[in-house]
This record gives sequence, structure tokens and C-alpha cells, in this order.
Amino acid sequence: MGLDKPGLLGSGTPTFLTTRLDFVVNWARRNSLWPMPFGTACCAIEMMASAASDYDLARFGMERMSFSPRQADVLICAGRVPYKLAPVLRRIWDQMMQPKWCISMGACASSGGVFDVYSMVQGIDTIVPVDVYIPGCPPRPEGLIYGLMMVQEKIRGESLANHTALRAEDPLATGRPRAGDEEVSDLTGPFGNSTHQNRVSGLVETDAIGRAEDRLP
Amino acid sequence: MTREPAPAPSMSGFDLVAAGPREASDPSGTAAARESVPPGNPSVTALRGHFAEAVFRNRICAGDEDVVYVDPERITDILGWLHDDADQHYDHLADVTAVDYGGGRPLEVVYQLWSIPNRAALRVKCELPLDALAIDSVTGIWAGANWLEREVYDLFGVHFNGHPDLRRILMPDNYAEGHPLRKDFPLRGRFSRAEQTRRALTQDPEDYYVPGEIGERTPQVVEGDGGAGADSGAAGGDDV
Amino acid sequence: MSSAVDYVVGRNPEMGPDGTPVPSPIDPFDVPEPELGSSTMLVNIGPQHPATHGVLRLVVELDGETVVSVVPRLGYLHSSFEKLGEYRTWNQIVTLTDRMDYLAPLIYNCAYVMAVEKLMGIEVTDRCRVARVICMEMDRIFSHLLWLGTWSIDVGAFTPFLYAFQQREKVYRLHEALTGARITTSATRIGGMMADLPEGWARGVREFADNLPATLDEVDALLTCNAIHVGRTQGIGAISAEEAVNYGLTGANLRASGVPYDVRKDRPYYDYESYDFEVPIGCHGDCYDRYLVRMEEMRQSIRILHQALDRLPDGPMDVEDPRISLPSKTDCMSDMESMIHHFKLITEGIPAPAEDCWFSIEGSKGELGMYVVGDGGPKPVRWRIRPPSFVNLSAIPRLAEGHLMADLIMINASLDIVLGEIDR
Repeated sequence: MGLDKPGLLGSGTPTFLTTRLDFVVNWARRNSLWPMPFGTACCAIEMMASAASDYDLARFGMERMSFSPRQADVLICAGRVPYKLAPVLRRIWDQMMQPKWCISMGACASSGGVFDVYSMVQGIDTIVPVDVYIPGCPPRPEGLIYGLMMVQEKIRGESLANHTALRAEDPLATGRPRAGDEEVSDLTGPFGNSTHQNRVSGLVETDAIGRAEDRLP
Repeated sequence: MTREPAPAPSMSGFDLVAAGPREASDPSGTAAARESVPPGNPSVTALRGHFAEAVFRNRICAGDEDVVYVDPERITDILGWLHDDADQHYDHLADVTAVDYGGGRPLEVVYQLWSIPNRAALRVKCELPLDALAIDSVTGIWAGANWLEREVYDLFGVHFNGHPDLRRILMPDNYAEGHPLRKDFPLRGRFSRAEQTRRALTQDPEDYYVPGEIGERTPQVVEGDGGAGADSGAAGGDDV
Repeated sequence: MSSAVDYVVGRNPEMGPDGTPVPSPIDPFDVPEPELGSSTMLVNIGPQHPATHGVLRLVVELDGETVVSVVPRLGYLHSSFEKLGEYRTWNQIVTLTDRMDYLAPLIYNCAYVMAVEKLMGIEVTDRCRVARVICMEMDRIFSHLLWLGTWSIDVGAFTPFLYAFQQREKVYRLHEALTGARITTSATRIGGMMADLPEGWARGVREFADNLPATLDEVDALLTCNAIHVGRTQGIGAISAEEAVNYGLTGANLRASGVPYDVRKDRPYYDYESYDFEVPIGCHGDCYDRYLVRMEEMRQSIRILHQALDRLPDGPMDVEDPRISLPSKTDCMSDMESMIHHFKLITEGIPAPAEDCWFSIEGSKGELGMYVVGDGGPKPVRWRIRPPSFVNLSAIPRLAEGHLMADLIMINASLDIVLGEIDR
């Protein structure tokens, strides 16, 4: 049955396709990403603009903004994250199901931005693992869309063969910072303008800032 | 169009920048002379008449803003009178804030008042020595002072006597580094970034449920640990 | 479960012995509600919840579905602007101001430099005054449009959100033409603007002001007489005029209660007294009146925009004082002295007198006050923002008491808060 019906590409063509499982799984995943918008500040407004009529994020498969972390695939952290909000961010990341990805949108989420102050997390990659950093203050909607497409590119390269290793999560790491003390100190050293401006702590020697899990899709 | 005379055309921009800070811009004279400006504002005159011993001095800032320095002990009397008196009627409390000048100078608590019917503004200031940061709360006069005073308590450590709910408002309840807007507080906080990150994540978000604050609000301040007091008003779901 | 009513099997339960109908024993309205005692339920909304308009957290105590009390928890976006400002020179702070209220950045840019200019005794040029009025009124509309979009989403209507964002995109483009950035404009400088208005910009603003009323009419038709919208907002979260003043409410929230306090009229700045516009006020002080007041404010802002565009004079944008204004880029690149001048002004900053100054304007959310304290140096001793939505939000425990849980969402939406400014 079914052989007499018109096929996928019209009548007379085969009714089946052969393909790689990796390709199909990745194709399905990357074209129906549901973002979890963790919007806090200015970047959240640009995220709303991306979802509104002019930029229309739904064209790329982000049809549904999922406000529940349980049904989301991509965490978009848009805006500055104070320490008071850090446990909330970590909990939402822990609540998301695998497979999941994370986008750090804007300068404040990626590095603390201009807010090198007592209350601000200096880059959310100390709290959760980040896949794509989007620069800008705030990034334009095109920037966010490009970042999401980079996540799609990254998904395209994944393979079910090493899936277990890729998606492994340590249950004991739930609710803990992603980066250890030493890495946090490395990442958050004062730099640039903020060092010059600081009356109290003065100039501090900084080493080269190396992010351990820098990676390109 | 600046208030002071235009720069002499012979001086170049470089010379003028090198000339250093400008004098105070008030045309009536130097800052010292302005301390004794006769009160032109009717509210200031009336205040001096009613609370002669509690009004320390007054001055005019930025051209047209009346500032009155009063005795912190009498602050509720003075502001209550300014609010209630038919001629003054300062019914809108625009702002409560504080200024720490650093260097051991007393901390100033600033009340910015506005009278909607009279269209008049007045700034009342109280100077508190750094070792006795306490003043009476004005929440009984303006309900809107509630959060403003909580913020001053949170960021400066000024204790407002008689405030119904004096807790930290912006920083976490168990914030241990101090009061951030004081001049002796470093910009990045007292702890290292690693310690701040660890402290932030070791606290459980659900610790922030304080049923006690919903049931019976106690006027006492719980210093340091905001989680106490949960036993009094916990009307939770145990008995359902 | 034992029932208080005896069932008689085999008899028509609808007729009594005398032939008169008896009420059905299983009529749900006759069954008394189970006795639950005085127990109430705590429900947590936020800090990551789409209906709280940011990272606000509301801990709500519920009796059934009725709100007994609301405890807002703030500080989830505390970015310590005021502390950071003490480490920045006067002009550098402008960059921080638009990150505080990202819904109306130009109003914040203008309010801040106006306070500093008053402190320093600087009088800006006529062209700059009118240009700033245009900027502020445009951003008042910009902010109200976002409020309109989120408000309509909260009431369950998605279409006005799309209409509002289409118009907002036009303002985004005007921002971009003026400053190069869509949201974080940083358009003002002490003594003037970052740059003169670009060619054709005024025409773009006029086009926007011409086209906006049609969109407002469409939204009007969708919402104003909509039965669901009216039912969910009328009589909800009402507050009397005396109480509103006592709580320190300002802006549309105060005017909806019938108090005609508008800083543009009561303490005019930038010749607002010479513009012809009305201050809309409500008479019930409920959510619906706040909606009506904001809708009318947008139309009044359009009137001001037209008048300001008509009178926009030619002439210099920045004050002609080399201690305040930077030399032109051409001079910097060709003239040694101008370059040193530029360098000194940037590195040393502009000194301000050792005084304090309070200046407030009518922001999009209410009375936006700036309190700046100088010490003779190029950095402030204290930079304080009187955040209108912080004070407005402090009334929410009073407004929501006794209403239903769903009404709390509308009350929160009607206050028009922005968390960047509340937490600072």
C-alpha cells in the first residue's frame, strides 16, 4: 500500500527517501528551535523586536517563544544578570531538557559590559555553558537572528554517535557555577576603561583572558 | 547665553580649559556668601518662625532651589507640619535619598518636597554623623516614603526608626558585604568575584519565601539574616 | 462523604409532596463550600515570568483566587548605576542613562544633561532646546507604544502588539539616523547634542507623526470599546486622588486619578508653556482610565511634535563655550591646538561647582528627577535618579488588595513599569 499514491516529489517518483539518521535528526532539531527568552534589560527589547512583525523570528523555526523552560531548546540570555538573578538563571538552565543550547546576547551577558560593579555577574559563562556569544549593546535583531543561525549551524555538525558525550550532564553540578574559582578570576579581571576609572582598587595586573571553552561552530 | 559673562575672545579654547575649574555659577556671589542669603521663600520664613531652634541654616542652590538644613531629631514634626499646614501643603514627596560625601563628613539625608496646589519646591536636609545613622521614618506622613526609605537603608545603612518594614530592597536579604553606596565601599564589592559567584549560587531561590513578611510584619530589623521570622506567620498548606 | 440532604429513591426529585418543585439536591450552587479554615496560599510570580514585564518578582498571598496581599521583591536587575556614576565624568554618564530606561532612552539622556546643565549654569541654544523637545516627545510615544503592546498582550489581544511594534520600528529608524544606535542612543552631551540633526531627519519625524494617528485609531477600535478589555480593566485597581498623591504616584497613573499634575505644565522647562497641548486626566483612577490617559497622551505628544517641528530654528546646536563643547572634528584633525583642546576636555572632563541640584521633568512613566551633587571636580559626588516607576510600583500592594489574581496582571501592566529603572 502506498506505492500507488503519488510520492513525495509528485506522481511517478519513489515514495521513500534514503538519508543519514544524523541529517534527519539535526534537520528536525535545527528547524524547530524553541527559544526560552530569559530577557532582563535592553537586549530583551531587541529580542521582542526580533519576534515582532518587521524581523519575524518565526521564519527560521523559532515559531514559539517558550516561556516554560521545560519545553524550550535554546536559552537566550538577553541582558545583564546581577548576582541576585544568577541562581534563577542556573535553575532555568537546569530545568531545560536535553538537547539544549545557550545564547548569550549582548555585551552585559557575555562579559558584564560596562557594569564592572559589585552587583553584576561578569559573563554568564561563569554560571552556565554558552554556545554562541552575540556582541553588541544591544545587538540588532539581525545580530540575534544570525546568532540563532549559528546555533543551527552548530546543530548541523552534531552526530548521534557521540551524543552521549556531547549531552552528558553531571547531576551533581546542578545549581553550581560552571566555572571554578580560578577561571572566574581569570574571566573577570578588570580591564580597559573600568580599570582606569576605579579609584579604590587601582590598576590591577591582568593576564590574557582565555576562555576555556571557546569554540566555533 | 551662559549666566556668567562669555569668555573673552582673546583666550583660545586651550587656555580656557587650562584655566581650571570654574567659579560657582551663581551671580549673587561665592558659596560662603550664599549661606547667609535672607530667606526669600515663604516656606523657609515660616519654618524659621515655627521651628526656630530646629532650622539650622538655609541656602539657595543651583540658582533657585531652596535648601533647609534641619535638626534630625525633629524631622517628623517639621515634615508633618510642612505637609499639613494649609499655607505650605507640601503634599508630594518627590524623593528621599542620602548623600555620602566621604572623608568622615556627616551623611546627608535629603527630602525633596513639592506642593501640587502651590507649585513650590523645597529641599530639606538632615546631617547624620557616621556613627549614629538613625532618623525617624516619615512613612506615617507619606505612604510613598516606604520603599524610598528602604532603599536608603539598603544602600547607605541609615536606620529609619518606626519604619513598618525596614529590610533590604535591592540587594539580597543576606548580603554580607555592606552598604554599597557608602564611599568606603569599593566599586567591585568587598569579596572576590569567585566568592561572589559562589555565594550567589549557593543560595537557594526558594529561601526568599519569607511567609512571615506576609503574615505579621514586625517592625524590628533582622540584621544580616533575612530568613528569620518565618515561624510566626506561616499559614501555609499544612492544615489543608 | 455524608450528605445533609436525604435522597428519596424512586421519587421525582423535582416535585415535593405538595406538588411544588424543590431545589435539586445536587445543584452546585446549593452545596456549601468546603470549610478550608483560614489557610491561604502563597504563589510566586517571577522573577522570570512574561507577565511581570521584566525581572520583577511578586509573592502573592491568595485566598482562593482573591489576592490577600502582594509582596514585590526587587533587585533582580540591580546594576548599581548610581555607584558607577561616581566613577565617571559628567559626560560619560550619559551612556549609562539610556541603559536605565531602555523604553524611552532619549528622555533619560535629556533629563540627565538638563540637570547637569542647571548645576553648571549652562543655557543651551534655541535649536538644541527644540531638538530635545522633539526627542523627548518622540520617545514618550515610543515608550507608550511598548506599553500598549505589552498591555494588550496581557489583556489577551496580540494584534495591537504587532501594530505598536510596526510604529516602534519607525522610531527605531529615527533613533538610528540620529545616533547610529537603535535603543542605546546616548544622544545628548552637556551643552548640546552628540551631533546636529541629520539631513531630512525632521521630515522623517513629521512623517511618523502624520502616520501614527491612523494606527492609534485602529488600536482604539480594537480595544477601547472591546467588551473583554473593558470588563477586565474597568473598576480594577482604583485609587483615589488623595491616596495617589500620598503614595507618590506620578505621570499617567496620578492623572488617571484626576490630579492634573504634569511637570510640563506645573514647572515648565524648555518653553513647554508656549506649546499648545492638553493634559488628559481620568476620573476613576482605575486601569481603564490609565489606558485612556496614555492613549490621549500619545495624541497630545503628536501635537507637540508638529509644533516643535514648525519652530525648529537654524543655528548652532552646541553652546559656544570651549570649556564645554568639543571642537569640530575637522579642526581636531588639522589644528594642533584644537586637538590638545579635545584631548584635555575628554581626559579631564568638565568641572562642576560644589553644589547640588534637583531637576525633574515629565518622563514617560512619571516625574523623572535627577539629583546631582558636584564637588568642583569633573565627577559627581552623588548622582541620584528619582525613579518614577519605582515609586509607582510601591503602590501595587494597595492597588491589588482584594482583586482577583488575573486582575493583578492588569494592574501591574497598567502601572507601566520598567525594571531597569526600578532596580537601577
